[in-house]
Amino acid sequence: WRAPPGTRTLTPRFGPSKPMLAFRFLRALTLVHRTAANSSNAARSRRIQRAAFASMAYSAGPRRAWSRALLCRLHFHRARRRCAGRRRAAGVPRRPSTTGSPADGLRRLVPGGTGMDYCGLLEETADYIRCLSEQVKLMQSIVDSVGPGGR
Amino acid sequence: MQHGSREVRGGMAASALHDDHGPQQIQNPGLHDDFFDQMLSGLPSAWPDLGNPKSPWDASAAQKLFRIDLAGKPPDESQPEAATEGLRYASYDEATMLASRLSQSQGSGGSSPTGEAMMLQLNNHHILPAVGLSQTAVGGGVGESGLLPLPLTLGSCGAADPRIIVETPRDEMDPPFESPDHNGGEELYNGLGGSIRAAQPGTGQHFHHPQNYGGAAAPAGVGQGPAASASSGGGTPPQKQKQKVRARRGQATDPHSIAERVRLYFSRVRAGVRSIPLRRERIAERMKALQELVPNANKTDKASMLDEIIDYVKFLQLQVKVLSMSRLGGAAAVAPLVADGPGGRAGANGAAAGGNNDSLTATEHRVAKMMEEDMGSAMQYLQGKGLCLMPISLASAISSAACRPSAGGLVPAPPAPPTSAAAAAAAESPAASSSASALTVQSAAADATAPKR
Repeated sequence: WRAPPGTRTLTPRFGPSKPMLAFRFLRALTLVHRTAANSSNAARSRRIQRAAFASMAYSAGPRRAWSRALLCRLHFHRARRRCAGRRRAAGVPRRPSTTGSPADGLRRLVPGGTGMDYCGLLEETADYIRCLSEQVKLMQSIVDSVGPGGR
Repeated sequence: MQHGSREVRGGMAASALHDDHGPQQIQNPGLHDDFFDQMLSGLPSAWPDLGNPKSPWDASAAQKLFRIDLAGKPPDESQPEAATEGLRYASYDEATMLASRLSQSQGSGGSSPTGEAMMLQLNNHHILPAVGLSQTAVGGGVGESGLLPLPLTLGSCGAADPRIIVETPRDEMDPPFESPDHNGGEELYNGLGGSIRAAQPGTGQHFHHPQNYGGAAAPAGVGQGPAASASSGGGTPPQKQKQKVRARRGQATDPHSIAERVRLYFSRVRAGVRSIPLRRERIAERMKALQELVPNANKTDKASMLDEIIDYVKFLQLQVKVLSMSRLGGAAAVAPLVADGPGGRAGANGAAAGGNNDSLTATEHRVAKMMEEDMGSAMQYLQGKGLCLMPISLASAISSAACRPSAGGLVPAPPAPPTSAAAAAAAESPAASSSASALTVQSAAADATAPKR
């Protein structure tokens, strides 16, 4: 994994850059707040979620297939007026992959996973998991730091 | 015999030869060529198949006809007998059609004696080697579709089409077939016979087609027809193959893509057997890395590990979703702070933290300079000092919640200094240069929080 040019990572070679992640996410978050004080909670939460994924993908850089696929999907959906139904909503029940390789479920989850062979898919999954966990930690810390402000 | 009479209705070579000789006995010891022997050895088994459209001896008879035509003129009496034997076994006109085809290509092809000439002809078309080896290599199930047009196109258009026809259904088979001269003719014929035998019901249709036609011209037309269809079928499979490649990228669960992946796997096997264990090693080490990431890594087996990984990814995505919903509260809390602007806050905090300004100012300047050149190193420096950058609004929120222990990973140091640092940064911004304000600008959410100085 190569960091985006001009940025040195603090973490070891494999892994996202936490400060950059925080930076991007917080910026995206305030953008969301600024521009969408109007919409409902559901819409705003969707926007926040999208902002989370976007900042994650940006901070991961274009070197990763999953980040590229994620950014493409985000731009595509923004151009198409945010088909929110297509978002990678976790927990949506998927039919089990009785036919085909067992990696199919993974391919559906990891963005950009359908175009890869098994080997690359595993690597992308590892990076994706790392970035996702960093994002989750970041968001959790934000929520904690802001305090029980309620919904 | 009625088979012979049916054959007589066929093309020119057959009719010509039939005029000369009636249906001959099969057991002709006069044949001296070895592949004739091969065919003769297989004859008894072929007897019940004479009426069978799927008879392998159609092709072998066609081979006989090839040889005859390639030889140009009947060298000896064995040839007409062979021809009639071919007539015996060629129940359908496609044999004669093939003969006509070969006679057409005879001018273009070499005229070396019998077996070698035929070898050359067929090797030019790259069909029989493929067929022969395919019979040995494939159980026949995969080879069906590829073998369909083969006997019909043996004499047909050019080398390209049969190759395509052979290639696309089983493209992994092709490169081994580049070298045409495999063990002489016998294997070819055996392979052809066996593979034709293997190509089961579909071939029957193609064999039935020429039956409707008669005469010399018609076999040519017939030859054109299946050849054209075969070539068109051959033309589209390469494109379809490319489309299949695209489909493979698009849908992983499509059965066509699965078959395509199987073929890809076989092509890789063919390309380099050494790469397979290398792949396995790579896969194994990546699985190990994943196991370290994912909790509950039981290491039992691959399938359960994959399920575990899938569940963990789903869990993480769900967490992001939930946190984004709960962020609304924080969002509501942060938004008014953002709208406030850091001016008032900065002033208040600056007054409170005035005492620490000097060291912090120097640090700030240093960090600002570093940020201009390299953001990462600036971050590193800050973290080394136990500081971090954060939006002003968040800093104020943290300071208001300073009693909260889990101030989060954002703030590695105890709350007070970072707050003061950020606050001091904010405080210094009115007095300091624009680079200091750049601190807040860069750290905060860009426009609304940091005042433009």
